[in-house]
Amino acid sequence: MSLHLKPARIATGRGDEDGRLVFDGERLVAVLVQLSDQYGPDAGKWFFEVGLGWLAGPKHPIFANLGEAQDWITRHLAGHRS
Amino acid sequence: MSSASDAELAPLIRKLESIATLSDAARHAVCELPMSVRVLEPEHDIARDKEQPAHCCVVLTGWAYRYKLLNEGRRQILSFHVPGDVPDLQSLHLKVMDHSLATLTQCRLGFIPHESLHALCLHFPDAATALWRDTLVDAAIFREWMTGIGRRTAHGRIAHVFCEMYVKLNAVGLAENHRCLWPVTQVNIGDALGLSNVHVNRVMQDLRAQGMIGRQGRELIIHDWDALCALGEFDETYMHLERKAAA
Repeated sequence: MSLHLKPARIATGRGDEDGRLVFDGERLVAVLVQLSDQYGPDAGKWFFEVGLGWLAGPKHPIFANLGEAQDWITRHLAGHRS
Repeated sequence: MSSASDAELAPLIRKLESIATLSDAARHAVCELPMSVRVLEPEHDIARDKEQPAHCCVVLTGWAYRYKLLNEGRRQILSFHVPGDVPDLQSLHLKVMDHSLATLTQCRLGFIPHESLHALCLHFPDAATALWRDTLVDAAIFREWMTGIGRRTAHGRIAHVFCEMYVKLNAVGLAENHRCLWPVTQVNIGDALGLSNVHVNRVMQDLRAQGMIGRQGRELIIHDWDALCALGEFDETYMHLERKAAA
């Protein structure tokens, strides 16, 4: 699996708009948003804003960094590849 | 005119009389129910999934909530409870708990033996009817939550729960003028409405920015009741209130 990230401004409606589109090959699988200062100890961390396909659902973890986010996404997609 | 037990069980009387009519004899019988009172600290289990309680608990002060635990520590809050509620009333007829019940804040709780509640229902049909009606209203509230979680936006769900809890507190004389104590954290709201903490945080900021709600110390202030009701599509019909307590 080859994930790659593309920077994007995400319309969260609030200050934290710095985001990454996460692609698995050519397919968009998730959107991550970096949390702003208002989140205290979570400021600067990466919020799993939305997942697509097998990543859709109620789970919205927060990751310390983008590497951790990619590891989690890779793990969750691994069981569902055709 | 009030005995000690009368004063203790006043929240239960106010709750039952907000949704049903009690005869003087039934009201007296409810006040005479034997009860052991315990104070539990916040986030303390009152009854756990799979337990078989021998009593029901009346919330006398504080807030409680029902919840289910899923794997990976995920938690779904099923309902919030305030003074006067008997959140494990179903244990009177459903012997095994199919969810857990816990305190949200420090709570003063009155535990009434099942046998005493059975005797009350046997001898005072209007008390039995009031308790039955309470379980039906409970189910109506679940239907409303299901509709919200399934079909309302995050903003709508949160607006709806603010409206519902205010009306519930107002009905038992614990809130007025669109202000009430609000001990529910953003994490609690997320667990109740199927939202992440980040999403709850953003919605709360939006509601404040739009002038619908505010906070003053531990109080929630609803500045624009009509707008909040419209946002949450809130219509209190499902709460089936017959009479609201004089504040």
